[in-house]
Amino acid sequence: MNRSAWILMLAAAVLAPAWAASDHSEHATQRDPKRVWEKSLARPTLAVGVAADTSGRLWRARVENGQVLVSSSDDAGRTFTPAVAVNREPERIAADGENRPKLAFGKNGEIYVSWTQSLDLPFSGHVRFSRSLDHGRSFSAPLTVNDNADIISHRFDSLLVDGRDRVWLTWLDKRDASAARQRGEAYTGAALYYAVSDDRGASFAPNRRLAEHSCECCRIALARDTDGMPVVFWRHVFGRNIRDHALARLDSPTALTRVSHEQWAVDACPHHGPALSISADGVAHFTWYSGAEKQHGLFYAFSRDRGQTFSAPLAFGNPDAQAGHPQVLALGTRVALVWKEFDGKQTVIRAQQSRDGGHTFAKPVTLASSASASDHPLLVSNGTRVLLSWNSVAEGHRLVPLPGDRP
Amino acid sequence: MRLTTRATLVLLALLTGAAAQAVELRPFVAGSMQQIRAAHAGRPFVLALWSLTCSHCQEELAQLGTLQRRHPELNVVLISTDTPDDAQALTATLARHGLVRAEAWVYADTFSERLRFEIDPRWGGELPRTYFFDRAHAVTARSGALAPAELERWATTPVTPAATP
Repeated sequence: MNRSAWILMLAAAVLAPAWAASDHSEHATQRDPKRVWEKSLARPTLAVGVAADTSGRLWRARVENGQVLVSSSDDAGRTFTPAVAVNREPERIAADGENRPKLAFGKNGEIYVSWTQSLDLPFSGHVRFSRSLDHGRSFSAPLTVNDNADIISHRFDSLLVDGRDRVWLTWLDKRDASAARQRGEAYTGAALYYAVSDDRGASFAPNRRLAEHSCECCRIALARDTDGMPVVFWRHVFGRNIRDHALARLDSPTALTRVSHEQWAVDACPHHGPALSISADGVAHFTWYSGAEKQHGLFYAFSRDRGQTFSAPLAFGNPDAQAGHPQVLALGTRVALVWKEFDGKQTVIRAQQSRDGGHTFAKPVTLASSASASDHPLLVSNGTRVLLSWNSVAEGHRLVPLPGDRP
Repeated sequence: MRLTTRATLVLLALLTGAAAQAVELRPFVAGSMQQIRAAHAGRPFVLALWSLTCSHCQEELAQLGTLQRRHPELNVVLISTDTPDDAQALTATLARHGLVRAEAWVYADTFSERLRFEIDPRWGGELPRTYFFDRAHAVTARSGALAPAELERWATTPVTPAATP
């Protein structure tokens, strides 16, 4: 078959559903909004949330047909229980790229779930929350946590339970940008907002702002410090358009520490958020992506003194293979990094590990690959093992032990 | 190659349906980047990547619309990283920015990593992303919405003659 014919067939195969759908939607928008709605819910999603509860049991949250589905595994992800739907009423849920459903756990077996609901205008969304008090057999009707109800951006939620069993949510919020626009003023980026619940997620205190001028579309990293307090790490906009990274604790939100200094000056949406892990010895481990011309790629650094000082950033991954979307997980002095690369034919998940608290790393290895669309990689630990969680269209959701783990 | 072009047009007609806009959306798949380079061989062009999900892309499209009005002779190639499902919103957005004559493509393969790799292995996916191809197709890459002055400078830089053999 010649090349042209091949391209034609490929294009036809790819577009077949699209033009049929487009043909419908022309009329359907007026005639059959229900059908359009169902179709938007039926779009497959790739982003899967995985977390371990206090007993080490793995929980998984995925999105199908507008519902968050939660299941659990007691054999490190080989088998999962039948899924339970969190939201009874389907809604449009962001579950791709920087957005994945989140899971967190209370001291008494509470299961907390959060996600971002997509609304009808571009870039708009609500932060949604539900809980289970019966070990995942049933979930409460979802709450909208953002107390500004405008159809604007309240998205990129992150969820954490602190040392006092309080439930925290952080997200990127455009209420200040929207208010500024109404006054005819410019506003750089979005703002980072948060809310806390001290009644096991029954209700949340009024929203508060942690920082103005965050980047608009990068996931937020949240981790619990050894004193129990949540620490936030995100891509911030310094000055007019420098999109480097900042750190703050939720109990002293006025003190913002700059972590990265690549000076990436860009009026763009990187869709490329950082990751943070704090080990039991109190060392905070950071990883992020920068597109700055002189320092382009993935970086890792640690801080042994709660963000007073940082190690010199270590560059890792191959920038000529699209190295991106890094994750970090520290278990004592063991530090695991995973990230995505493209080798010319397929997407590969690469990993590097340190056994000395991040001072030195072993050579990178490939953990998994796929020649289809895939989620960003995620790391999860039950306290003794470290697993890669990764979903791809062709292979489905996988949990892969990192080298050095017992199989 | 003629077959591909004609097939693309047929697909486009189907894709955009009865309400076909002035903008034609071509499906960007594996191999399309090579096709774009070949189609513009020996000519400078600007290639801009954008998405409906990127707020800064609106600024970029507005600038490119202005550029094309001021310099109708320039070749502007636009690639949306959305999906063919978004055709209506994409064509409406391009029309709003006066980009009805631009060569417009949309990602038509969910395996977007491969498409991105064919465009530029070093590109991290941030949007908007702009590539200035000179006559010999030496490329300058820029991330982020460009200042009008930068686009204007590119548009008015005298074109260097193609290297003589």
